[in-house]
Parts: sequence; structure tokens; C-alpha cells
Amino acid sequence: MSDLRLDATQLDRYSRHVIMDEVGPEGQKRLLEGSVLVVGAGGLGSPAIQYLAAAGVGHLGIVDDDVVERSNLQRQIVHGDDDVGRPKVESAADYVHRLNPDVSVEIYETRLTPENVDELAGGYDVVLDASDNFATRYLLNDYCVLSGTALSHGAIYRFEGQVTTIPNREGSDGPCYRCIFPEAPEPGTVPDCATTGVLGVLPGTVGCIQATEVVKLLLEQGDVLEGRLLLYDAMDMSFETVELQHNPNCPVCGDQPAIDSVGDVSYEHTCTIDAD
Amino acid sequence: MELECRFFATYREAVGQKELTRTIDDETTVGDVLAALEAEYEGLEGQLLEDGVIRPQLSVLKNGRDVTHMAGVETGLEDGDRLSVFPPVAGG
Repeated sequence: MSDLRLDATQLDRYSRHVIMDEVGPEGQKRLLEGSVLVVGAGGLGSPAIQYLAAAGVGHLGIVDDDVVERSNLQRQIVHGDDDVGRPKVESAADYVHRLNPDVSVEIYETRLTPENVDELAGGYDVVLDASDNFATRYLLNDYCVLSGTALSHGAIYRFEGQVTTIPNREGSDGPCYRCIFPEAPEPGTVPDCATTGVLGVLPGTVGCIQATEVVKLLLEQGDVLEGRLLLYDAMDMSFETVELQHNPNCPVCGDQPAIDSVGDVSYEHTCTIDAD
Repeated sequence: MELECRFFATYREAVGQKELTRTIDDETTVGDVLAALEAEYEGLEGQLLEDGVIRPQLSVLKNGRDVTHMAGVETGLEDGDRLSVFPPVAGG
């Protein structure tokens, strides 16, 4: 921990954090010194970026190669009507700057690939997966496992959400995303939001849960969703956690992993080594 | 004996409901149930099993635990068990 001190404005801004024993000035310093890469500035990324910035997470990276479309605004609340046509990373960064001058933002207007993932994600304390496709999700899982980077996973489908946390601590034998789903579904078999629709507020709930997990990881407080998958059903308003276990046959974190580099994998198909 | 089956995301749409109850006998395994579901629902055909094992693109839980860590398709079932079938989803 550095000797970063909270100034009077910060003590005021973060007073509801600082007053709690679980955070306190030391915890707030951890947040201010923390860095999080948010991959995707859409439905999940919007609330995550907002709450991480509000919490004073000192450095945020935001990756997205899309521009804002009007059909995004029903759920992607970091963008406004005037932002239609702008790169999402730019309007998300503007939002953060307006919200909290303590937070520095690095924007990457690009798609994450096996070639650039280390350059973009290397050095961040936590990666928050708010992407919208399996290729990016499996790439992030594999990269984070191989590099020992903490990962928050969240995904949505119509009225349902899935969330888990993969801290990737040294010596940890917790499960990764591939332990649950070794391969991605074939392209086209799981429709996207544009095809199926999505309840606008759904990613708000799921993205906020991801932000909660990331703040806890940075604070080193509480129990995260390690080894647990949270299944949220907005229609039933039910939350269910199911137990996850490390899979000894997992292709990336198993006993004899086939994947020892993200360069081994063809991410544009089923995210396997032998994909053609 | 009775088995409760629960479906999520795309499988929920294929079955048309979130839950259903099936009457099974003592010898019925998880694999038997999945094969029967594939036969019964057109949208599930080829989606659950591949070469007699659970496909790598889904997760099947018995009472909240992945059957992969039990006996896979050979996992036995008891009265009142709950089988949950869900795919990964990618939306963000």
C-alpha cells in the first residue's frame, strides 16, 4: 500500500465508504489504487462502469469497438441520445469524467483478440467481462487463467442472467468458465440480444452484481462467487446459486491442460484448439 | 418416483416451460432422461448428448451439482431429485 492519502474532498466524496469498518480509509485507498478493465461498454458494462467509477476505482480501462446505436439506449445507460453514432468507449469515458475526477480512463476502441489481449489486459488488477459474444468470453477466461488475473463473468439472455467470479489467485483450485462449459456453442446456435430481445433493466442487475464482486475483490473483503454460479431469473425474481467445481479435464486449468497460450485456440468457432 | 427437470435460456424455449415433472423408475440414469427429452422435444434434438455423453456446450446439475463430477450420464436418480439443464449465454 502506498502512502496515498485521502484529501478533504475525497473524504467527503467517499464518506459512506470510509465510515464502514469493512472499507475505511485503507479500503478506499485500495479502490483508488485499483485498476479494472471493463470489456464491453454495453448493457453490462454501463452499470459496472458507473458504479466502479462512483466507488473511486482509480483506473478504468474500457474496451469496445462499437458505436452507440439508438436501440442500445433502452439498457446501455452510460450513453445518451446525443451519443448515437459516437464510439461507445468515448461516451463511456465522458460519463466517468463527469462523475468522478479521481478516476483515470484508458479507452481501447478495438475488439479483443488473442494478439492484443496481453497488451490491453496486462497490468489490470481485475477484468470485468461485459462482452456480448463467446469468442471474447472464452478468450478472456483463458487469458485470465493463464496470467493469473481476476475475472468477473456476467452474461444475459432475455430475462435471465449468469454471474460467477474467477479470482485466479495463485495456488487456487477454483473452477474457471471452461470447467463449466468446456466449449462454446457453435456459432448461430445461441441467438444474441438483437435477435431475441432483452429486458432493458436485466443487465443493470447483473452488471451491478459484477461491480459488487469487483469492489470486494479490490477490497479483499467478503465472499465472492468463486466456485458458484449465480442464476438470476427476472421473471420469477429468483436468485439461485449452484455449486461449481474445478474440472480435472478442463482444457485450460485441468491437470493436463491442452491450452497453454491463447494463441493455441481458434476463438471464432467453438473456442477449441482443433476448431477448423 | 418423480423427477423435477428445470430448463434455462435456450433450453427453456425449446421445452416451452421452465419446469416439468417426469415419472421415472429406479434404474433411470441422467443419460436416460436427457435422451428421452431429446426425443420428446424437437428443439432439444442433438443438443444434450453427443456420442452418449453430455455435450461440452452445456451443464447438467443434479440437485445443484454438476453431474460431470458424479458419474456423468450414468449418474443415478432418486425420488425428488432435481435436474437443471442450462447452456452458456453470451449476451452483454
